[in-house]
Parts: sequence; structure tokens; C-alpha cells
Amino acid sequence: MVSTVQNSDVKQKDEDQAVVVAVTFAAVFDAEAEDDRDVYRLGVALPLLQVLQRVNERLLEENPVEHQLFDIILITTETRQQQQSSSIINSTRHHGLEVGRFCFSSEDDFIESLAHNNVQLFLTTDGNEALQATQQGVPSALLDKNSASCPSDQLRVVLCQDATIQPNADSSGASKKSAQSFLTLLGQIRQKFGMFNSPLCFTIVTSCGGKDSCCSALKSLRSLGVSVDEAYCLGGAPRGPILSILRPHFLLSDGFSQLEG
Amino acid sequence: MSLDPIQVMSGQVKELKVSPSSNGDTRGSWEEKEEFDPNQLDLTTKSKPVTGRRARKVEGAMFFPKPENAVTVAVSSRVLFRTEREQKVFEQKGVEEYLRYQIEHENEPFAPGPAFPFVKALEAVNARLRELYPQSEELFDIVLVTYNHAHVGIRLINTINHHNLFIERFCMTGGSSPIGYLKAWHTNLYLSADAEKVREALAEGIAAATMFMMEKVSEVSESQLRVAFDGDAVLFSDESERIFKTHGLDKFFEHERENEDILLDHGPLKGFLEALGKLQKKFYAKGQRLNCPIRTYLVTARSAASSGIRALKTLRAWGLEIDEALFLAGAPKGPMLEKIRPHIYFDDQMFHIEGAAEMGTVAAHVPYGIAQKHNSPQTLSGGK
Repeated sequence: MVSTVQNSDVKQKDEDQAVVVAVTFAAVFDAEAEDDRDVYRLGVALPLLQVLQRVNERLLEENPVEHQLFDIILITTETRQQQQSSSIINSTRHHGLEVGRFCFSSEDDFIESLAHNNVQLFLTTDGNEALQATQQGVPSALLDKNSASCPSDQLRVVLCQDATIQPNADSSGASKKSAQSFLTLLGQIRQKFGMFNSPLCFTIVTSCGGKDSCCSALKSLRSLGVSVDEAYCLGGAPRGPILSILRPHFLLSDGFSQLEG
Repeated sequence: MSLDPIQVMSGQVKELKVSPSSNGDTRGSWEEKEEFDPNQLDLTTKSKPVTGRRARKVEGAMFFPKPENAVTVAVSSRVLFRTEREQKVFEQKGVEEYLRYQIEHENEPFAPGPAFPFVKALEAVNARLRELYPQSEELFDIVLVTYNHAHVGIRLINTINHHNLFIERFCMTGGSSPIGYLKAWHTNLYLSADAEKVREALAEGIAAATMFMMEKVSEVSESQLRVAFDGDAVLFSDESERIFKTHGLDKFFEHERENEDILLDHGPLKGFLEALGKLQKKFYAKGQRLNCPIRTYLVTARSAASSGIRALKTLRAWGLEIDEALFLAGAPKGPMLEKIRPHIYFDDQMFHIEGAAEMGTVAAHVPYGIAQKHNSPQTLSGGK
């Protein structure tokens, strides 16, 4: 039984125009470490939460009545977590996190909740959850321990195009479409800032193909209205060293399928 | 290891035959090698819709060498191509107008810049290496590095295709420093128009040099890569130059004589010479010494009979062969370089860079060592 609770500490965002980002409990909090005041310690998603807030602040600076802001939902994906609702709400308010609402669901119904809440991006530390969400047409990305050391002044989104990743058997038209619409939204947000000093940086990394696959990626992103800041064409070189310099908050890949770290 | 051959300068210059092979020859052997066994290719071949040009085949991913195995040369877009007009738009009208201009002219390729002949020569060497060692990853790998916003990327890629360059790797950093990426690519040499970035690279232990726009450029060989180096503060450290600058020529000679048997410390370009040497040996191993498509030169103000000895002993001790060592004993370098026709000449002193450029030699400045306190570019346009 899913319950949705608003966070009264946080001003609610516009239902139609906000970009809804769902982050799982296990990403927001370090579930193992609960101190005796019944407050969870913060997990790997902290820099991301901070930076999404930063983008919102900058958007409002540009336009005080801006409605296209990031709206963050904290979602539980296990029954055990679902039952800790008061601790979760408590901890969130204790840390002053800009979480708009909570969605208490279990492993059986969290996917439905994503759809129900109009989630445009689902962030989790669990590969299976990401895969499930993607298959159901919700763009998702994995967070891991690297996410914990990302900067909190600029949202760094990296799109990895890899010509050799076989599209998911389930990579349906709907899944691709929702991925594209999320990119379009990001593109719109990016457009509100200038070339320099932007709180959002969009990077593309093409792994296996040569310059021409990078070129077509740039063109197709442009047609979605996404202005790419940085581009790296690796021509088969390993991705690791480049990614460790880029320090993305999260990686998106073709069709948003699960990506190794 | 013996150094051969040594040219002792006595005012008379040995006439070096420079006969660039006709376009047909070079292209022929390069394109022939693109007829790979189709079963080996992962990707289907694609022809470029550029009028009047033979279609290039896109090689499969397996043919891109691993960065640590290749000799990686990172080249900035501003030295590989001529982008002065666009620079002016940026400086005079700001970044938004600059990007708009670039997109508007997206299908107009840039003209070749000062590093272009050098890069073409690297590709010619690669063609020969692939003939002899088809499976080897020990090749030149050219990476395009630019501060540009990825908006400009499409125009750069179109330009690469237009000029039939084999560059499949690039970094468009959108304004952030490329130094981290240079290290990640195991860069052996970085060429840029921006002296500041070159200095940063040198500080990180990456061989680097600043290049300048040239008014006239002499014709160079299309089949043999020729790289010339200054000695002090380029291949070697600037220790001896310091003595010269602070105590004068006599003290310098005395110091060199006393320390003749003590090796000079290495300079920022030593590693690159070493990398060239390794590739040269691959040709020698296949009986191609006389026909080697890589030739290296030392062009130094030291004199053969005295201070030059220490330089030679040092190179020998390092196990580095240099094909020709030219000791000018203080004579101007321009005329000598004009005879050699290197694709690139590295020197730490702007005075020599300008002298070389006046006679049409592409010279790259290595901003290293004591000479930097006395440098100031007079005629060449550089900087950001």
C-alpha cells in the first residue's frame, strides 16, 4: 500500500512544469548507520541533492517565478524501509534536505509509484531497480560511492554513447521516448544559463565509435534542443580515466540502460 | 650505441636532398592499406559524401591503439587548423556570437594550421608502420584537444573529414583545463597556441610546446617525418644555459669542459625523442634503416669540438640515437633549418623560434628554463 506524504518544510513545486527526480532511500541515507536519536546519516546522494538545489536557486535567480525546477521525491523500494516512514521524514527534516515529498512503497509497487508521480528520472544505488524502472519506461541512472565525491556547485550530467552496447531487448519505443523527453527537459534548463558559469554541464562521451558517431550524437542531441558543453570521443580507449576526471553526478547511456560504473 | 652521422659545421652546409614525394605516391600507400580484410572489421565501411575525394573507410574499433601503447600526440584545434577569424569574432563580439558564427559556418572546413604538415607526416609514418607490423599498437595516435564548447565540435569533425585526417579521438573541454585529460591519454607531446596551457603541461611532466601562426611555410616532405630539437633546455636541462646566462660564455665553456663526463640532466622533450627512437628501431629491425620515414636532428648552438661533446656523450649514455647533430657554434639557426626542412623544430628561446619562422620553418616554443626570464615574442602572434 503506497502512501505519499508531502514535506511541509519544503515549498511544493509546480505539478505540470517541475522536473521530478526520484531518489531511493538507500541513496539518500546510509541505511546502516542510524544513531540513537533515530536520525539516519546521509548517503552517497548528498552532493547530488545539494547540486539539484543549487540549480534551482540559480534558476530562480534568473527568473524569480520560474516553474521548471527540479522536484525531488524520496522513494522507498522495500517493505522494511516502507515501515520506517516516520524516521525517514524525521531524518530528512533534520538534515534540511530539499525533498518535496516522500513516497513509501515496497519492492512490489515502487515502479507504479514512479509512474504515478510523473517521475522523469529515477536515481538508485541498486542495479536491478534501475533496470526494472528503465524497462517500464522511466529513465534511470545508478549512483555509487563515486557520486559521494562529486562537486556540489555544478550538476554534471554525462551521456555515454556506446556503439557496441546492444539495445535492451525491452528497449521499447516508450523507453526511448521518455529518455529523449528527459534530455529535452535538461536541454531546456541548460538554455536558461549562458556558456560560462552554468550550474549545469552536459557532457557526451562516445566510447567505441569514431568521430562520426560522436558527430551524429551531437547532431541528434542538438535536434532535441540539448546544447552539449563538453564532448569526448574515446575511440576505444578505456572510459575509466576520463570519467574520473569528469566526475559526473550520474551517467546516462543510450536508452538509459544500466551502465557499469 | 654510436651516433651517426655527425655533421661538423664549418660554414659549409651539406646540401640535403629534400624531395617530397608526389601526392599520388603517399596517398596510394595510405589508402591501399585501408583495404582491410572485411571479415576483420566490426563496423561496415562508410563513404564520405565529400565531392571530388576518394571515399575513406572507417576502421573498426579494434584498430584504435591503446593510449599507453601508442605515441600520443595531442594537438589543439588552433594549431592544427587556422581559426584566426573565429578568434576575432570571439574577442570582439563575445562568446554567444562566436558560437552562432561557428554553427552558421559549420560546413565550411577550416584551413590547415602550423601543425597540419606535422600531423600529416605522422600519418605517413603510421601507414609505413602498419605495412610492416599490421597488428601492432605502437603507432602515432593523434588526439584533438580543444577548449571549445562542443557546439563547435561538428565543424571540427567536418574539417577533419574534409582534409582526410585520421583523428578518431578528441576532447572538447568546454572551457575547463585539458591537462587531466592529457594525462589520462598518456600524452607524449602536446601542441597548443596557448603558452599558459603549455606551461601547465610541462609542469605536469608532459612534453609540450607553443605554436604560432606562420606567414610563409616552406614545403616539407610528405613521406619522411623530420623532427628537429634544440639541445639545452629542450632535450637537456637548462643547467648549462644558466651558467651561460649568469656568468657568460667563458665560464660556460669552462664548466662544460670540467663536467664533460658528467651527464646532463634530461629536458622536457627527451621523452618524445625517445618515443621517436623506439619507432625508428622498428623500421631498422625490418631492414629499413636507409629508408626510415622518421629522421631526427639536434640543432644546437654548442660547438662540436668543445661543449658539444658533453651533449653527445649524454645522448649516448641515454641510449638515444639522433640521426644528425648540427653544432652551429653560435651561428643563426634559421638557414640550417631551412636546409633541413623539419616538420617541427623545438627550441626554448623565442629568438630562435622567430629566426626559424622568418625562413619558413615551423618552430614550436618550449617555455622551460632560465631563458624564459629573457623571452618576449616580438613578431609572432601567439597567446590565447
